[in-house]
Amino acid sequence: MTYLFIIIYAISLIYFAFAERVKKFVWLLVIQGLILFGMVYFSLKEIEIFDLIFILTETIVVKSIVVPWFLNRVRKHNSLKRIHEPSVPVFYSVIIIMLTLIISFLLSNNISDSKMHTQFLTVAFASIIYGLYFIIIHKNIFSHVVGYLIIENGIFMLSLAVGNTMPMMVNLAVLLDVVMGILVLGVFMNKVGNAFQTDEVNQLTELKD
Amino acid sequence: MYLLFIILSIVISLSIFLFKKKNVTTILSMVFLASLVFTSSYAYLNINKTDNIFFRYDSLGVLLSFVLTILSLTTFYFSRNYLKKFDYNSRNVSIYYAALIMLITALLSAYFSNNIAVLWVSIEATSLFVSILVFFDRSKVALEASWKYLFVSSIGIAVAFVGILLLSISASNNGFTDLSFETLINAVGNIDTLWLKISILLIITGFSVKLSVFPLYAVAVDAKTIAPSPISALMSTVLVNAGFVAIFRTYTVIAHTEIVAWAQNVLFIVGLFSIFIASIQLLRVKRLKRTFAFSTMEHMGIVAIGLAVGGIGYYAVILHIVLHSFVKAGLFYQINQIHTTFKSKWIDNFSGYFKINPLAGITMLIGLICITAIPPSGLFVSEFLIFKALFLGHRYIIAIAALILLTVIMYVILTKIFLGVLYGNVPDKIETHKPNYLEHIIQIGFFGLVMYLGINPPEFFIDLINNSIAILN
Amino acid sequence: MISLLLIVMSALFFVGIITKIKAKIAARKMPSILQPVYDVIRLFKKSTIYSSTTSVIFKIAPIVYLSSVLLAAFFIPFGGKAGLLSFHGDFVFFAYLLAIGKFMMIIAAMDTGSGFEGIGANREALYSMLVEPAFFIITGSVALFTNHISFQELFAHFHVGSNLSYAISIASIYVLVYVAMVENSRMPVDDPKTHLELTMVHEVMVLDNSGFDLALIHIATWLKFAVYGSLISNFIIKNTWNLYEQIAVYLGVQIAFACLVGILEAFRARNKMNKNPQWIIVLSAIAVVAFLTTLIITQKIILN
Repeated sequence: MTYLFIIIYAISLIYFAFAERVKKFVWLLVIQGLILFGMVYFSLKEIEIFDLIFILTETIVVKSIVVPWFLNRVRKHNSLKRIHEPSVPVFYSVIIIMLTLIISFLLSNNISDSKMHTQFLTVAFASIIYGLYFIIIHKNIFSHVVGYLIIENGIFMLSLAVGNTMPMMVNLAVLLDVVMGILVLGVFMNKVGNAFQTDEVNQLTELKD
Repeated sequence: MYLLFIILSIVISLSIFLFKKKNVTTILSMVFLASLVFTSSYAYLNINKTDNIFFRYDSLGVLLSFVLTILSLTTFYFSRNYLKKFDYNSRNVSIYYAALIMLITALLSAYFSNNIAVLWVSIEATSLFVSILVFFDRSKVALEASWKYLFVSSIGIAVAFVGILLLSISASNNGFTDLSFETLINAVGNIDTLWLKISILLIITGFSVKLSVFPLYAVAVDAKTIAPSPISALMSTVLVNAGFVAIFRTYTVIAHTEIVAWAQNVLFIVGLFSIFIASIQLLRVKRLKRTFAFSTMEHMGIVAIGLAVGGIGYYAVILHIVLHSFVKAGLFYQINQIHTTFKSKWIDNFSGYFKINPLAGITMLIGLICITAIPPSGLFVSEFLIFKALFLGHRYIIAIAALILLTVIMYVILTKIFLGVLYGNVPDKIETHKPNYLEHIIQIGFFGLVMYLGINPPEFFIDLINNSIAILN
Repeated sequence: MISLLLIVMSALFFVGIITKIKAKIAARKMPSILQPVYDVIRLFKKSTIYSSTTSVIFKIAPIVYLSSVLLAAFFIPFGGKAGLLSFHGDFVFFAYLLAIGKFMMIIAAMDTGSGFEGIGANREALYSMLVEPAFFIITGSVALFTNHISFQELFAHFHVGSNLSYAISIASIYVLVYVAMVENSRMPVDDPKTHLELTMVHEVMVLDNSGFDLALIHIATWLKFAVYGSLISNFIIKNTWNLYEQIAVYLGVQIAFACLVGILEAFRARNKMNKNPQWIIVLSAIAVVAFLTTLIITQKIILN
């Protein structure tokens, strides 16, 4: 059953490559949060029931409700443009995400041994690589934060691999989301939008020599 | 017991943030400093004891906590003077002190933590509070530096977390279920070397943003340039010490496995590249604080090389970071004075300092001599030991490359700043004010301490250092 | 034989149902379902005009197009029994038969020397190229899943197995519906109702055809739709049902497919022309994910 969620997560990554509207990014993050919720429910069966409920609650609340709400608020407050054009055309991004998925599946096939549970490693690896690529090709701060959240979803999935024996790691992975989402988005994005009247990254170059 | 300290500082910090009055701030800061001193002494008296499984007062932590205590006392004093000169509203001031208190608490937790996950959480907390502090004067440049620092630091932390996750996946497959350092040292014997290498690489990359070395050095340098001077002092000293603690403890985990040679090569590459990039960038800097931010990067490169070379290098590395903390702090406090005197941050406007204020000029000179590791500075002793270890270990190419680059750096720093101190005409719009003797005493005290610790260190100091590196031998 | 008869029969009604659904949604007066047949009969009665700049290619292209589509229809199985022709690897042959027909149309369009037809030919070639991987990867994953390589055997053995075949069915039907839409030049890639030459893809290629040739091209379009619909229905029909049930389900699937195309056409706008390539390549990406799923299901990739 976890495989089904892994496949749906892979498809959501493809839609990230395809999407250009900012609102769609936020919706895709909500959907990814729901997918991760499903994954947690089906795979962390061996920990105590209260731990499980706590992790489920914090996953769904932080990833699908709070962070997208903050993102939406920032979007409306700063009146972001509807479409953020990446610097690499979408056509090539889709090809790149396809290749990344194929490579990550083949990689986890090659390194699988009986001791490591590699079913999460596949899409987690693809998600981290794609998140970094997303940050590189987009040129404004909002998309950088979205890219960081994609990396984080990948890290969360990776922490599920060890979640049965050390549920603390899953909590720490959600902590990353809390830091970025609530503190960064809630506080800094407003200030950046206000101060700079734009959110293009090439405005932030005063400190160079 | 340590948890009491954390709870106390959270309470103090929240109170300062909520009540924005000045007397409350002053009193509560005194309370905090007293508890900090108390905790450090308590830790020294209970050395090597574990305190509630996540924290352990080992020698390295105790040594660095002494440095932290002394520097916190001076930071609070200098912050008070800094904030008096600029007339900030009480809300910003209270945020400043609250964040400063939380930063110091998080740093102390990072020094004492016994569990790699707690170490990671503490370092993430320090990033957050440092960003709040860097953003203090709310200008556009501050916002830029603060945003970049927070974002890249978060990415670094995430990368380090992936490394820690891979380590924990491998450890849990062998049946170990907690991540304290002793467990990890026992567990690494059975882990597949590929996973170990990947996780060590990721952890070093992730924490390189704190240690201000290659590859993620740029945002740390920017942040140190823009932050208020007492905060820059804190960032260049105790914050990089926290990064060093993280990488040091990770290195001790793998120090007795078969991948240690590979890890040493990685650290050599990191160190050499840091010194190389620092020397290139130093040719181009135009701001005074940025020069010393890059100088931090260079010293941390030397530390990485020293950690990799082993032998007497271990002793030298810990000596180096302690001495470097004091020198850098003193220098940044002096730079604060230079900024207020010349009313400008650029090196071009800095000339004829000796004529304006001879005492300050001499202090600056002594500081420059100390930071560029000219004898009798203590940094000379530690660098000498590191190079001795390099030559004894037959790593001639690295030693010679590092020596050439260090010469370049010394040349650049001295020509840019030395000349400004001694020679040149006095620019027109300067502000002379009554010299504050206490500040000078503190700065000269630091420089003197560095020389003293280099030439004739006291017994307990040597013992602490030897105990910290005992695990590596 | 039954398969061919059913395809021809459903071809007659297919485009009529699409138009009827669109008209109903738009609250217009509906033409009769057999209206396209009446149009074709009218076209048969007219004479064909050939431009003086065209050569023999322009004259033979529609005939080659229709015969290739008809020949491709021979391969589609029905209810576990083979079509008129069947051999190993015939799905590759099927794809390239359709490609030959399309190729003739493209060069015929370029043969007329008209600029607009050249634009249409250009775009048509690009979209076919981009959608070809999707078709092959989907058929390849079904072949991998069942371990057979001809259409008849593929579908005969498809439902013998576990519930996993449902997952693959859903993915394949989704991709095949969109592949059918792209290959037949419907929305959102190309709007058949637009007559602005700069935005046409398929319609502009047939601007210069008239009379008998145009009739052949229309018939070929219906047949192509019916062929794709028949492919899709094969995923749903089980071999264990008896003949009448299979025929009923087949007609139901064709009508449902026509209604789906009509609804999609009525409610979606056409993509911006420069967004079309990226939209089509997303289909191939989803096909790749379906292929990886099949690899996991058939244990070719070991994940634990």
